[in-house]
Amino acid sequence: MNLQVELLEENSVQYYKVVGEIDAFTAPVLKERLAAVENIQELKAELDLSEVDYMDSTGLGVFVGFYKTVTSNGGHVKITGLNKRLHRLFEITGLSEIIDIEKKESEDNNGTI
Amino acid sequence: MNYRSSVDIITEWDIVAARQLGRNEAKKAGFGTVDQARITTAISELARNIYLYAGKGRIEIERVTDDGMFGIKIVASDDGPGIQDLRKVMEDGYTTSGGLGAGMPGVKRLMDEFKVISEPGKGTTITATKWLH
Amino acid sequence: MPQEVGRQYKEIMKKYLESHSEEDLYVGQQFSRRFIEKEIAPEDVISIHKTAMIELHPELRNEVWDSFDFLIEMMIHYGLTLREHQSLIRKQEAIQIEMDVATKVQDTILKTKMPIVDGLDVGLVSQPARQMNGDYIYFLNGQNESSVAVADVIGKGIPAALCMSMIKYGMDGLENDNSNPRNVLEIINRIVEKSVDDSMFISMFYGKYDGENATFSYASAGHEPALHFNAKTGTFSELDAKGLLLGVKTDAVYEERSVMMQDGDFIAMMTDGVTETRTEEGFIEMEMIQEILAEVQDEPAQQMADHIYHKLAGLQNYRLSDDFTIVIFKKGTEKV
Repeated sequence: MNLQVELLEENSVQYYKVVGEIDAFTAPVLKERLAAVENIQELKAELDLSEVDYMDSTGLGVFVGFYKTVTSNGGHVKITGLNKRLHRLFEITGLSEIIDIEKKESEDNNGTI
Repeated sequence: MNYRSSVDIITEWDIVAARQLGRNEAKKAGFGTVDQARITTAISELARNIYLYAGKGRIEIERVTDDGMFGIKIVASDDGPGIQDLRKVMEDGYTTSGGLGAGMPGVKRLMDEFKVISEPGKGTTITATKWLH
Repeated sequence: MPQEVGRQYKEIMKKYLESHSEEDLYVGQQFSRRFIEKEIAPEDVISIHKTAMIELHPELRNEVWDSFDFLIEMMIHYGLTLREHQSLIRKQEAIQIEMDVATKVQDTILKTKMPIVDGLDVGLVSQPARQMNGDYIYFLNGQNESSVAVADVIGKGIPAALCMSMIKYGMDGLENDNSNPRNVLEIINRIVEKSVDDSMFISMFYGKYDGENATFSYASAGHEPALHFNAKTGTFSELDAKGLLLGVKTDAVYEERSVMMQDGDFIAMMTDGVTETRTEEGFIEMEMIQEILAEVQDEPAQQMADHIYHKLAGLQNYRLSDDFTIVIFKKGTEKV
C-alpha cells in the first residue's frame, strides 16, 4: 500500500517516476501530485511506470483524468515503461489509441526478457 | 458583582498566561482538580487557536452566577479570518485536520455551555461556560 | 454515583495493597468495566484513585499527590479523544443504516429482467466487493432476441453506484431500432460523456443474441473481452472489439462484430473483478478461467456462473477485491 511519485526533471518536460502499486488507496496520492501541474498550458508530461507492477481501474481513471485536462490545455502526455499487464489494460480500454504509450523496453519484443 | 479579567493573546507565552489565569479563577471559584484541568485545557485550546490562526485576540475569564449556580465563563475573541463552515468545525473527526476551529468539539465537551459566533473576514467569538455542580 | 464508584474502588485497591493477589487484580479488572459503563473519563479515574490514596495513605509525600495532579492534566486529551471516538462510532452506525437503505434502493432501481428466448440459457452472478455494486448488468429483451450490457464503473462503492442509475435510464431510453451493439455504445457514450466527472469512466460490453439465426453480435467500450466456447472443438476464443471507455471522448466509434453460436456453445461476459482475480501467488491467468468454465460446460448457464464464482471467490477466501460479475449466454441443445 505504498506509492512514491518522484518529479525527476523540470525542464520543458515534467518527468514523473511512479514507484509502487496504484490502487484505490494509493491513487489519490498520484492524483494530487498530477493535479499540481495539469493546468499548466502546453504541458509536456512523461510518466514512467516501469516500476509499477500493479494498477487497477482507479489508477486508470487518474491517468485518463490527467490526460483529458492536459490535452484540453494544449499539452501532451506520454506514459512509458508499461509492463505486459498494464499494457494490456491500456489496450483493452482503447486508451492506447488516444494516449501516447510505450511498453517496457525489455518487453518490446514479444515479452521475452 | 461579576469578577472579570483578561489576557491578550499575541505570543505563545500568552497562552500560558491565559491558562494560569483560568486555573486560578477556577480554583477560587471552588472547582476540583479535574474540572480545573478541564477548564484550563479548554482555555488553552481556545488561546492556541487564536495564536495559530487569527494572529491575535483575547481571552476573558469571568465568574458568573445564574439562578443560584456559580460558574466560570471563558470568552475567546479575535478579529481573524473567521470560520468558513461552522457546522464542519463542530463535527467530530475535524480535530485531526488542523486549521481554524480545530479542537472545538473538545472544548465543547470540556465545558457545559458553548456558543460560537463567527463571520468570515471579521472574526470569531467563542463563549464557553462551566458550572460548579 | 461517582462517590459510590470511588468507595468501591478504594475497597478493591485496599485489598490488593494488602494481599498483592492475582484474585484481587481480577476483581479490579471486572470493576474497571464499570468505569466504561458509567462513562467515567480517564481523568476522573485518576482523580478517584488519588482520593482513595489520600484516604488510605495520607502520610505519603506531596510529590505523590502533585504527580497525580500532573497525570490528570495528561489524561484530559485522552478523555476527549475517547469521547470523540465514541461519537464517531455512533456516526458510523448511522451511516451504515443509510447505506443499507441505499443498497436496497439501488437494487430496486437497477432491477433487470432475465431474458426468455427459446434456445438461450442465461446465467449470471454479480457480487459487490463492498456494500454497493459498481458492476451493472442490464438486459434488453425483444422478440426472439436478447441483449445484455455488462458495465463496470471505474471506482467502487457509492460514487460508482450513483453513476449506474444514469446508465440504466440511458438504456431504458433506447429505441428498438437502436439496439445494435455499436449504436447502443455510441449513444450511452454521449450520455456518459456529458454527465460524469472527468475521472469517472465506464467500461461496457454489449452483446445481442438473435434467436432467429443464432448469431451473437457485440461491441466493447474498453471492456474485458468476452470468451466464446466452441463446443464442437472444445476451444475458447476471445471476443474482442475495438472501442474506447465510455465518457472519455464524445465522438468515440465502436467496432461491431458477430459470431455464430452452435449448440452447446456459450459466451461468458465478465468484468475485471473476474479476470483480475488476485491470489496470494499473484494474478490468475485467463487460461484458468477457461479451465474452470470447461469443467462445467455441460451444466446449465446459472450453475456455470455459480461454479466459477465460488471457485474464484474461494481462492480469495471470499474477500473480493473488486466487484465480480459474470454473465453466461449458452445455446441450449435440448430444444433443437
